[in-house]
Amino acid sequence: MKMTDKKLKELIAQYCNVKAEDITDGMRFREDLEFSSLDFMAFLGELEDELDMEADEEEVLKIRTVGEAASYIANIEAAV
Amino acid sequence: MEEKQYPLTPAQMIHHLPIRQLGTMQCINVSAVLALQSPLDFGLLKQCIELEYERNECLRVRFAKAGENGEVTQYIVPRHYEDISIRDLTGMSREEADHVMQQWAFETFEPYDVPTCEITMLMLPDGYNGMYVHLDHRIADSCGMIVIINDLMQLYTHFRFGADMPAPLSSYREMLERDLAKTANEKRIAKDRKFWEDQFDQFGEPMYSDIQGLRVLQDSRKRHGDKTLRAADLELENPAVGVKDFNLDPDATRALVDFCMNHELSMTNLLLLGLRTYLSKMCGGQEDITVRNFISRRSTHKEWTSGGTRTIAYPCRTVISPDTEFLDAAYMIQDVQNHVYLHSNYDPQLLKAEMKERWPIPENTVYDSMALTYQPTPIRMENPHLAGIPIWTNWYTNGINTKKCYLTVTHNPDGGLHFSFHYQTARLDDHDMELLYYYLMRILFKGIAEPDMTVGEMMLTL
Repeated sequence: MKMTDKKLKELIAQYCNVKAEDITDGMRFREDLEFSSLDFMAFLGELEDELDMEADEEEVLKIRTVGEAASYIANIEAAV
Repeated sequence: MEEKQYPLTPAQMIHHLPIRQLGTMQCINVSAVLALQSPLDFGLLKQCIELEYERNECLRVRFAKAGENGEVTQYIVPRHYEDISIRDLTGMSREEADHVMQQWAFETFEPYDVPTCEITMLMLPDGYNGMYVHLDHRIADSCGMIVIINDLMQLYTHFRFGADMPAPLSSYREMLERDLAKTANEKRIAKDRKFWEDQFDQFGEPMYSDIQGLRVLQDSRKRHGDKTLRAADLELENPAVGVKDFNLDPDATRALVDFCMNHELSMTNLLLLGLRTYLSKMCGGQEDITVRNFISRRSTHKEWTSGGTRTIAYPCRTVISPDTEFLDAAYMIQDVQNHVYLHSNYDPQLLKAEMKERWPIPENTVYDSMALTYQPTPIRMENPHLAGIPIWTNWYTNGINTKKCYLTVTHNPDGGLHFSFHYQTARLDDHDMELLYYYLMRILFKGIAEPDMTVGEMMLTL
């Protein structure tokens, strides 16, 4: 299933106190959205299930911002 | 109507299995008091408690016998049928009332087909009034307990003062079904299994460590006649638990929090580093250390408000050489933990079985003696209508545990950290906990002051 920008932000909003429509690409998961390490990993697990993909653990651990997450997903989808 | 039966989730099994190991339901109790130094309308509070039973599905969970070896299933009854009682302890001193409530924490639930949560209204000394919540750990962990208490008090302030009605809680049943589906996701299971297998291939069999030093493992080696044994015996004959609490003041806590913020570290990983450094020191500089880390898998809004038990435990195993700098060691732990979190839907019982298959250690022996849980959620009511009112809160131990030493770290309302050590009295005493806390603090504060000091140098300074 293709992950739209809207759907990605809706998914992120389930984990934080920011509404999906207020989430921007520049927001950092930890500092701006207050994700804990566990939150971020749980979110990635959810993404993997949603997209039926397997993330490269070392690569995903480098993701800091919403935009980087969107780019990573776009690259994965492009490669399929 | 026959209620739908569900198996237990892996998180519930963590609390269920000790019932079999210890042969008593006492180990399943979780008990806490919350009272305000203020008059309460007990008629209204009773209505709020009844409403809480309606709103919060986990409070209506019961367990049914499903086998001859202690197996159970769970089901949710449509409503709570039992009356809400009130107890008057006003004739006692605070200490006496506390002692009475501690005794209540030892009272066991029947194993099958009974309510698994009792909420009792309380009149306490010094003008405190509130409630005592006594529940089965399989239906709520400490975060679940805080959700219950906060929601109840929000209901009370809604009806009493016209505050906003709290938002509906998410469905325990929905989250249960979701968790069980995740547990059955074969693709994910295979990936999680591979992660742990890779760990085992890389590092080999873990090695037991203990704050009492190498002699504990040596004793187990003698007992089992195996000089190469790397696991030590659990104490199950006498699992009585003592509690030793310490408070770190807000300023010192701020220093730790700032260090974590400035270096993008989590407090859990800093604490794990402190504990593993002390264990290493006590075991002659042993590099391979495992600490069991309990995490509450609550990340989404639905998970936070569904009640239930979502606490799960995995070994945090690190092999750190003495020439590793403190900060680098912290990042090594963080890296391990991040990977573990990514695989945190994996059933710890599967992990245990796989380890046992690979390394057939004797029954009831383990590789870890120390467990940690860090709970960033403060035990307080974030309710503006109750601001400024003195609060009496306390968690009461159920008195027994299969773990030798279990440290729970929480935040105090004043901003400081609270360290609560639960230790098996057959093996450890208060003094051991005083030493452990003392050295843990020395390690942490030495480390944040000189993050480029190696862990080997640090151990020499202790």
